[in-house]
Formats: sequence, C-alpha cells, structure tokens
Amino acid sequence: MLTVNHLAKSYDGEKKSLTDVSFSVHPGEVTVIIGPSGAGKTTILRSINQLIRDDDGEILFDDTDMRQLNRSQLRRARCRIGMIFQNYNLIEPLTAIENVLHGCLGTKSNLAGIFSLYSNREKETALKLLEKVGLKDFAYQQCRNLSGGQKQRVGIARALMQHPKIILCDEPIASLDPKSTITVMDILRDLAINDGISVLINLHQVDIAREYADHVIGINNGQVVFDDRTQALSDAAITGIYQKGAVPERSLVHEF
Amino acid sequence: MIKPENQISIPTQLPSGPRLSIPLRFRDRRRVTILLTLAVLGYITLMTLPTMIPSHFKLTEALMSFAENIKIMFLQPRLVNTTFISLLGVLGQSILLAFLTTLIGSVLAFFFALASTRRLAPTSLVLGIQSFMAVIRAIPTVLWVLIYSVVFGLGANAAVVGITFHSVAYLTKVYADSMDELSPEIIETMQAMGLKKSAIIRQAIIPNLIPSYLSWTFIRFEINFADAIAVGAAAGAGGIGYQLFMSSSFYFNFHEVGVMVYMILAFALVLEIISYRLRAVKHQ
Amino acid sequence: MNSNVEEMNDFFTKKRFKLTLLIVILGAAYIGASMGLGFQSHSLLNIQDGIAWLIQNFIPNEASKGYWHEIVQQLLRTFLVAVAATSCAAVISLFLAVIGAKTLTPAITISWVIRGFSSLLRNIPIVAWAMILLFSFKQNDLTGFLALFFMTLGFLTRAFMETIEDFGTEKIQALQATGATYLQVIFQGLLPEIAVALMSWILYMIENNVRDATLVGLLTGTGVGFIFNLYFKSLRYGAAGLVVLSVIILVVTVELISNLIGRLLS
Ligand SMILES: Nc1ncnc2c1ncn2[C@@H]1O[C@H](COP(=O)(O)OP(=O)(O)OP(=O)(O)O)[C@@H](O)[C@H]1O
Ligand SMILES: [Mg+2]
Repeated sequence: MLTVNHLAKSYDGEKKSLTDVSFSVHPGEVTVIIGPSGAGKTTILRSINQLIRDDDGEILFDDTDMRQLNRSQLRRARCRIGMIFQNYNLIEPLTAIENVLHGCLGTKSNLAGIFSLYSNREKETALKLLEKVGLKDFAYQQCRNLSGGQKQRVGIARALMQHPKIILCDEPIASLDPKSTITVMDILRDLAINDGISVLINLHQVDIAREYADHVIGINNGQVVFDDRTQALSDAAITGIYQKGAVPERSLVHEF
Repeated sequence: MIKPENQISIPTQLPSGPRLSIPLRFRDRRRVTILLTLAVLGYITLMTLPTMIPSHFKLTEALMSFAENIKIMFLQPRLVNTTFISLLGVLGQSILLAFLTTLIGSVLAFFFALASTRRLAPTSLVLGIQSFMAVIRAIPTVLWVLIYSVVFGLGANAAVVGITFHSVAYLTKVYADSMDELSPEIIETMQAMGLKKSAIIRQAIIPNLIPSYLSWTFIRFEINFADAIAVGAAAGAGGIGYQLFMSSSFYFNFHEVGVMVYMILAFALVLEIISYRLRAVKHQ
Repeated sequence: MNSNVEEMNDFFTKKRFKLTLLIVILGAAYIGASMGLGFQSHSLLNIQDGIAWLIQNFIPNEASKGYWHEIVQQLLRTFLVAVAATSCAAVISLFLAVIGAKTLTPAITISWVIRGFSSLLRNIPIVAWAMILLFSFKQNDLTGFLALFFMTLGFLTRAFMETIEDFGTEKIQALQATGATYLQVIFQGLLPEIAVALMSWILYMIENNVRDATLVGLLTGTGVGFIFNLYFKSLRYGAAGLVVLSVIILVVTVELISNLIGRLLS
C-alpha cells in the first residue's frame, strides 16, 4: 500500500531532519508514529504527499514513486490521500457541508471548482459522511461556529470525501478535550477496520497510541528506532524512543 | 507593520501582552529610533516654519480675513449663482464618479492582487507587480487626470481613468496584503487534497477575503469621493469640486462655498455612519 | 432523489441566486453611473494610449535639463511643508486626543466636542481649505501648510484617540491605583506604550501629505504642484515629465524610509 524507503531530508542542507527512514503501512491498519518533539514526525508525513520535497529515498504509494511524478500526476495522486491537521484547516466562513464537498473537487473540472458544481451523488455522499461523524444537524453551520472537536470531525469527513486509500493525521487530537479525543480516535479506528483505509497518525500521547494502534513506529532524531506491533511496545521501548540517548554522543557535543 | 489605515477601520487587536516582555535591547532600539525620528522631524519643522512666512506679511490681517471667511461660510451659507437642485446634481456626479472608479478599481485590483500575493504567485511576479503599483501610487491622482485629459480630452473619461489608476494601485496592495494574512497552511491543505488553483482561489481565498475586501473597498470609496472633489477643482473635471472652485476663486463667494461644504459634510456624515455600522457588524 | 439532497440543492441555488443578483445589480449600477457621467467604457481599453503618450512626451529631453534646478528646489519646499504640517498637527492632535479619549477625558462632553471637531476638519474637502486660505493668505507656502495642517489635524486626532482608547481602561486604572498623578499616568505609563503606534501614524500621514501637497500646490499656486501646472499648461511636457519623475522619486523614497523606520520599530 504505502512503503517508504531510505527517506532523507534536510531543510537547510546541513542539519539532517530525516536520515534513512524506512517503513511500510498496510491497508485496514492504524499505524501510529511517536517520538519526541522535533524528531521529524511532521516531516515524514508531509513528505508522503510531497507537501515538502524530500532530498532522497523512495515513497511507493500503490507501486508508484510519489517523488517521480510530475505536477499534474502528483495532483491526481494527492486526490486519493486524505490529510487531517491539528488546526483542522477548514475554510471557516463556509458551512460544514461545503467544506466536506471540497474533498471531491480534486477530481473535478475547473468549472466545477469555480461554480461549486456537485452532482447529486456527491451531495448525498457528503451528507452521509457528516452523518457518520455525527454532525448531520450541523451541515449548514458556518465552521467558525463549531467547537474544536466538531471541526476535526468535519475535517475527517472532508478527507473521506476524497475516497482516500490512506489518511495521514498530524497530531489530530492535540487541541482536543478528552471526550472529543475519544470520539475522533474511535472514528479513525473505525475507518481502518470497516473501510479498509490505512490510517497513519502522528501522536504525542503514548497511552492513546497503545490503545488504538495496530502498529507503532518510533522516531528519534530523524531515525526509526522502533517499528513493531503495538503489543511489543514495552515501557522500556518507550523510554528508548524518547530518551536523548538515541542521539549519537558526538552531535551532542556539537550542539553545545 | 500594520498600516495605520488598518487600525482606523478594521480594529485589529494590538498585541498588548508580549510587548512588555521584549528583550531590553529591542526596547532600546525602538526608543532610539523614535527619539531620532522625532528629533529629525522637529528640526525640519523648526527650520521650515520661519521661512514660510513671507517678509512683509501681515499675519493678523490674514487671520482676521480667514476668520471672517470661515464665519461667512458656516454661519451665512447662501446661494447666489446657482440653485440647490443643480448643486445636488453636481454632488450626485461626484458621488457617481467615486462609485464608478471604486467599482472598476476593486474588480481590476482583485486580479492584480491574486497575481501578487505571496500565497499563490512566484516572488519575482510579486515584486514586479508591487513595485509597479508603488510607482503608480506615487503619482498623485490629479496628475493622472491631467495627463489623461490631454489624451482623451477633458471630461468624464479622463476623470474616471485617472482616478481608477490610483485606486487600482492602492487596492492591489491592500488586497494582496489581506490575502497574505491567510495562513499558508490553508492553501497547503487544499493543495494536499489535489485542488486546482482556480478551485483554491474560489473556495479558500475568496471566502476568507470577503470581510477585508469590503472594508478596504469602502475606505477607498471614501478616498475616491475626496479625490473626485479635488480632481473636479484642480483639473476642471466637473462635479461639486468644480463648482467649489468656481465659487471660491472666480466669484469669491464664500456664502456659496458654505452651502457646498455643508452638502459635502452631510454626505461624509452618511459615510461615517455606514462605516460605523460595518464595523459593528464585523465585530459580532 | 431524497429530501436531504433537495435541501442542499436549495442551499446552493439560493447562494448562486444571491451572487447573480449582486452581479446584476452592480452591472446595472455600472451602466447607470457611466451614463450619468457620460463615461465611455471603451476608454478603459485605451489606457495604454495615456501611458504611451506619457512615455513619448514626458521623456525629459535636453531642453528640460535646464529646469532641474527649479524643480529640485520646489520639490524640497513641498517636502518640507508637508513634514512641517504633519509635525505641527501631530503635536496638537496628541494633546486633543489625550483630553478627548474616552478613557482619559475629564468630561465626556469634551470628548464628544473633540470628536465632532476632528470629524469636521477631516471631512471639509481639502479644496475648500485651500481656496479659503488662498483668499486670506495669498499665494505662498503658508497657505499650503495650513491646508495640510487642518486636514491632518482632523485625521490624526481621531487616529490618536482610537489608539489611546485601544490601550484600554484597565491598564490606566492599574497605573492610577499605584498613586500616579494624571500627568504621570500619561507621560510614564501611556505614551511610552503607544509611541510605536503613534509613530507609524505620523509616518503614514507624512507619506500621504507629500502626495497631497502636490494637489494643494496646484490649487494655491505654490510648490511642485504649481510648476507642474505651469509647464503642463504651457505645453512644456518634457519639463512636466521631469516634475512627475521627481515626485515619484520623492514619494517612493519617503515610503522606503518610513518602511525602514517601521521595521526598526517592530
Ligand atoms: N520549515 C522548516 N525549516 C527548517 N527546519 C525545519 C522546518 N520544519 C521542521 N524543521 C526541522 O526539522 C526537524 C523535524 O521537525 P518536525 O516538524 O518534523 O518534528 P516533529 O516530530 O513533527 O515535532 P513536533 O512533535 O514538535 O511536531 C526539527 O529539527 C525542525 O527544527
Ligand atoms: Mg509536528
């Protein structure tokens, strides 16, 4: 489904933010990436749909290398990759349903994008998705009037509108209260189990990762330091992922 | 830096908290900059003021006559050479001129702004368009109207095109600045969903732009109204400005000037009430 | 088709209808305004004629070089007058704003009087200011200075007043609670805090006044506006072009300096 091989990235050409990252993600599974702040989690996620151009490696999505695509091919590939953000990134002045419908614009014509032309089937799907995330009654509310948890659910519905094969979530629950956190995580797990979508999530909450993940990837200092089923994530393994020891001594000296 | 205009019509919350916690050297740099600027301005002013009064100038006489004219204007407004109805007509013309130039300007400027916002356009294009607009903005509106009245002949065409020039240059900048305020993440999100540029503009940029688009356009309408009057007087382009010019420098009739000033003030009052309302709506 | 989809179709239709209506109204207003003014839309397509004419006639030629000296001199005068008018207005505005701001005013009536006064000054067209002043003060720099001064006074008083009011009541009360006197509150508490905002207003007004000074000069027969008119009316286009060029340089320079100061202040 998605395989990342030897991914490397440096923002400034000097300091390596990612060094040789390899892992794969399977359909119908929730994969969680954990690791200390600045480890490179966001960088990995955004490299997958090429929001940032990485320096080296291979990103095989459905057996095509995302890095080799030209602009229009990349745009088409992105149509099947959903993405969910910590800050929701909805168009706040528009209604929930309009935001959800944006999800299907990638595959439609310029005209449809400019005049908001959607087929009845798409409208029906959008409503069903809002229903699925429990927001049917809020369809015609402006998004700026929704709560954080509701916004994130609109964000999920929008991603689902893309009929994605994979959903990338960058800290989807970082701004949410405990109750909304559970709602959102339940929805995401449900997508993996019932719809066979691969779900890849960046998280800071280890307990949530333990509860929801099928597979855990630990990142430290731009390197994969853990890659196994959730059952194998022992307390010692967690300490290993988060400790600074994963950084070679040499570069510590350089830092100070 | 927030342009001051931004504050008067779009009350943006000033960052009040962090200002106190700025490191000392930044506060020092600020203080030095302010003191130096004030010193330079003060020096220029003090050196200029005495040179402005001509050698044998009777200041008291001038002041007396000025006070007298102000009194005539405000306390004894009266019409002599023209009728109130015809004045209403020319006021209407100035308003139409302001409206038309704002309308054309806002439409054209919108497209220029799209081509010169950092969110969508490449840096070279942004810099190119913005510098071009800065040059156009630097030329006062009156000069544009005078130039076009040679090409098109004196009249509405020259007035409209001349005022539009300045409006486009001004609005392009403020619209582009408003678009720049939109978070880059929003645009990235749309790109990550595979949206085309046209769809991003229509579905993400426009909905977010509408409030500031409206308030800036309204501000420009107020400026264009003032410009329409000035252009009427200085370039003979008609409207109430031309009447004002004739009454004051041809007939020397300040009673009449008073009537016109009252009419203009009445319209300005209407605009001020509207802008107050717009602001109240925006604050909700 | 179920009722939910119909509801949504209604929603989009309504939105589209409103937009169409708006466009139709604006289009009609455009046509109406054009007819009312006698404006022909095709002149918008001939804009390049003006630019071409500008480039052809306004290219400063050998003959216009002789005007350099006078132009630079008048340009400098215009600039100085604009700066002086802004500075003088700023000082008085600050005083008016402090006693007029709702958070500091001794009496709310004073606040309203100052508000009305500044609104009056601001909205009297600069043409009217220039013409009455011209009548009494005759053709000299003082006339232009005063016209700019009155308008700037109206503008800055309101701007300063709003800046002070944005500063907030609580902070002023907190200062008063420490036992500071009225003047101490203003000079040690308020002014240092809002100095940056006030400064950016002053710089903006200077920029604006340099441009407006050209207009005022044209009306009152002084400064760079006057010589432009003189050259232009006597068909000395090369010299007029030199004036335009020098105005561009001055305004852009002022803008750049003011941006620089703005950056140092941020
Ligand atoms: N735009 C950028 N320019 C330069 N360096 C960057 C940029 N974005 C990230 N970095 C650097 O790359 C490294 C990895 O950052 P990244 O955002 O991927 O970390 P993260 O694991 O997502 O952290 P967090 O948990 O705090 O979100 C960091 O050292 C960061 O400083
Ligand atoms: Mg991150």
